[in-house]
Amino acid sequence: MGFFEIFSQQLVNGIVLGSFYALVALGYTMVFGVVKLLNFAHGDLYMVGGFAGFLILSFLAPFIGPGWFGVAVSMVFAMIAVGILGVVIERVAYAPMLSAPRLSILITALAVSLVLQNGMLTITKGQYVPFGSALGFGGVNLGTLFISYNQMILVGVSLALMAGLEVFVSRTQYGRAMRAVSVDKDMSRLLGINVNRVIAGTFFLGTGLAAAAGTMAGAYYGSLWYFMGFLIGLKAFTAAVIGGIGSIPGAMLGGLILGLLESFGTQLPGVGSEWKDVFSFSVLILVLVFKPTGLLGKPEQERM
Amino acid sequence: MPDLPSRPSSWGGLSAILDTPMKRGVAIVVILVSMAVAPLLFGQYATVILTNALLYVVLALGLNIVVGYAGLLDLGFAAFFAVGAYTVGIATLHFGLSFWLALPLAVVIAMLAGLIIGAPTLRLRSDYLAIVTLGFGEIVRLAARNLRETGGASGLSGIDSPWLFGWHIRTPLDFYYVFCVLAIIAVIVSVRLANSRLGRAWLYVRHDEDAAEAMGIDRVRVKLAAYVVGAVYGAVGGAFFAANLGAISPNSFSFQQSVLILMAVILGGMGKIPGVILGAFIVILAPELLRDFGDLRLFIFAVGLLLIMLFRPSGIWPARSRR
Amino acid sequence: MQNLLKQNLLKIGAGLALALALGAPAMAQDTLTIGLLVPTTGSEATYGQDMANAANLAIAELNAAGGVLGKQLTSVVGDDACDAQQAVNAASKLASSGVVGIVGGYCSGATLPTLKIFGDAKLPMIIPAANSTKLIPENPGNVFMINSTGNDQVAKAIEYFTAHNIKSIAIVNQGDAYSQDLADLTKKNWEAAGMKVTSFETTNKGEQDYSSVVTSIKSGSPDAVFWTAYYADGGLLIRQLREQGYQGVIAVGDGSNSPELFKIAGPAAEGVIGFSNPTAEFLPDAKAFAEAYQKAYGTAPGPYSTLTYDATKLLAWAFTTAGSTDFDKVVATLQGANFTDTISGPISFTPEKTLARSNFVVLEGKGGAWTLPQ
Repeated sequence: MGFFEIFSQQLVNGIVLGSFYALVALGYTMVFGVVKLLNFAHGDLYMVGGFAGFLILSFLAPFIGPGWFGVAVSMVFAMIAVGILGVVIERVAYAPMLSAPRLSILITALAVSLVLQNGMLTITKGQYVPFGSALGFGGVNLGTLFISYNQMILVGVSLALMAGLEVFVSRTQYGRAMRAVSVDKDMSRLLGINVNRVIAGTFFLGTGLAAAAGTMAGAYYGSLWYFMGFLIGLKAFTAAVIGGIGSIPGAMLGGLILGLLESFGTQLPGVGSEWKDVFSFSVLILVLVFKPTGLLGKPEQERM
Repeated sequence: MPDLPSRPSSWGGLSAILDTPMKRGVAIVVILVSMAVAPLLFGQYATVILTNALLYVVLALGLNIVVGYAGLLDLGFAAFFAVGAYTVGIATLHFGLSFWLALPLAVVIAMLAGLIIGAPTLRLRSDYLAIVTLGFGEIVRLAARNLRETGGASGLSGIDSPWLFGWHIRTPLDFYYVFCVLAIIAVIVSVRLANSRLGRAWLYVRHDEDAAEAMGIDRVRVKLAAYVVGAVYGAVGGAFFAANLGAISPNSFSFQQSVLILMAVILGGMGKIPGVILGAFIVILAPELLRDFGDLRLFIFAVGLLLIMLFRPSGIWPARSRR
Repeated sequence: MQNLLKQNLLKIGAGLALALALGAPAMAQDTLTIGLLVPTTGSEATYGQDMANAANLAIAELNAAGGVLGKQLTSVVGDDACDAQQAVNAASKLASSGVVGIVGGYCSGATLPTLKIFGDAKLPMIIPAANSTKLIPENPGNVFMINSTGNDQVAKAIEYFTAHNIKSIAIVNQGDAYSQDLADLTKKNWEAAGMKVTSFETTNKGEQDYSSVVTSIKSGSPDAVFWTAYYADGGLLIRQLREQGYQGVIAVGDGSNSPELFKIAGPAAEGVIGFSNPTAEFLPDAKAFAEAYQKAYGTAPGPYSTLTYDATKLLAWAFTTAGSTDFDKVVATLQGANFTDTISGPISFTPEKTLARSNFVVLEGKGGAWTLPQ
């Protein structure tokens, strides 16, 4: 394979990977915007979303088939179901903690993450669960470059979701309320915005996006694992940080950049695939040290 | 002047019944005697488990300094544990050093690691700090997995057991006594630190960094000191862990390990010394007793952690001054 | 005040009760107990449970035939959860609970530190699964490995590759002790034979997206790709290799010898080559065993059940032949064994206490299952 072929293939790989990162990063960034909390359990909600999609698909498949249509319908239901779970978690675990010391709420988030992970570990006995989708193998050949239909659908759906979110946030009243709350919560309350509802809604949306990513990942890659949320959680956080935490376009950009970095990174001499995660974490640390606001983020005044 | 949080007594919840020096002295003697006698009463298996628990006491007390005293949520504490273990492993296997030379080397390298890991986190808010320390923990584990010098994924094996003035520290009983001594030293050091100027500085910095700075406390040095001291605990634990097991591999230094140590700090409640010790014992003994529950055990732990956070949050890190 | 006192007394009392519970072994005198060191929790639990089932099946059969040394056999499981620290705990518990021998060891990394414990306790141990070459130098002299080691597997693989005109390979492992060991050995021997390794990749367990690794591999145009790790991620890699258009040979090691591979990889696994110890369906003598296993446990026997079954019978045979459970006699008997009452083939040992013959075979994936190539 010549250089150009490798380059273009890795480009495609990076974009696909980046779509997943972006979807999950969006949830992180949105939640952070309104409650100034890094929801440690967010990656695990991606995992739960994948399992939810799997369960729903196994019920529906006899009726609507295990192809893309079936997956899409399952995905929508999974988004709603896990979105509700996200709101429940927020109400039960985070809302009471918002006035407690910072460390407490962080550890609470960690505890929620562990509960989700270990709960799924117990249920699945740690085994990989085949997703059971049948997405076909067709694709388009451009020279030696192969782009599968699945990849195109995946990126397309991700873009549609992200575009939908952007429209929602910038054009609707609810979206305006979200932005207001993320700028100044107390002022928003004084202006008559129902802050609790906005927070709940943000969690619902952010978690829903993660669940969508989880279902699509399960369908596309073919299997689910209780621990799959851990790594994507960290990667998505890295993406959100690169793009600038609190910024929605930033999360999308960050996801894309991280996906590309990872795909191309292993082509660098000396960085073998065994160092891929060290590479990603190093990028995270460097960004946080030298440009903590990321590419599109707003300057952060408080230090807590 | 900002409202100064008062220092909690080192005895934590027990200080109500152990309120005179006499009673405390008796309590200490009772504890020491039972520690010395336990293995003789309870057999080898119990000795091994208790040794594990004592190792966790050391590690948890170390993390307690970083998280509990200085308020830095370090999710990658296993990195220091790894540094201690691997330094001893490499120094004794590849360079032929004796354990007692490898040990101070491990401590020094861990202190360096503490600086390296701590430095980038100084200006970060606590959420980011948690993730960055997690990242460092993973970097250390992955490096251990990838490098030939650390034995790759299979790790290092055949680490010799140390000799001390003619005493060959080899059997589980030998290591039990060694870890008893380590745990006692760890407790004493932690108590001393809590009551020292540095301990007070940690308290102020944790409470309100800017006010502390205004009072003349160097935030940077104080935070770095926390990492460095915590690293020393981790390294000592790791060094003796390597000598005890004789074989180490990257799996023992994963994020799960860091979480387990964190759970020990929090589950026993309080983040204060007796609570941390209790937490270490819970974290080690419970899996042995809950063996029948299998995977459910981890789930129970996680739920327990969540419940503690939801129902006793102010008991762990008081935001304002305490009673 | 009263509450605090009560609380603390309760704590102390609980602690004592705990310690007593831990320290109390209970062993009947007219039975011989075999300790089974297997993972029954964690990600490898299905393998561990399968091994325990097979051992217990052997024990039931031996008991029905009169037991060993006039006594009935029982077993007790020590769960190592595929983790070194837990393995040490489990091994210590087994060693101090009066067992006369150990059958077990699945995850090499977890098994490694337990060898010393069993050696010190003077317990003979037969390992039916764990086969990393790192176990060999750590053997205190009481451990016998009846699963052919990585060396044998590599030899088999190289034999296959050279016979099929394969000149360059890419090696992919998962960064754990077993797969990395196998990958390293393959690389060393393949290059020593003058052949080329186009890329040497490591993936993370559970990663899912192998696209960049696949692209890297493709860019080297190897004749074959050799996956040395476990079936769950192997299945994903195989799928993605074929999806991206890789046409060469795909080979997997014995960590992927499970039939589950085909569920995960789907049609992409057609034609995949596997190197494995013979699993039950390929052993002529295993039919009766498979039926008995199915009857007793309701599922088909797993990949390491035949070896564990044989290990248990070997241990029992050693006791009988040595005439006692005396450690030195039993070890000597095992060392000189030429044990043929097995379903996986005759067992005898090299001076290093590894299996004297390689029992690796080549399998081929056809129609969604492993078959023997014609």
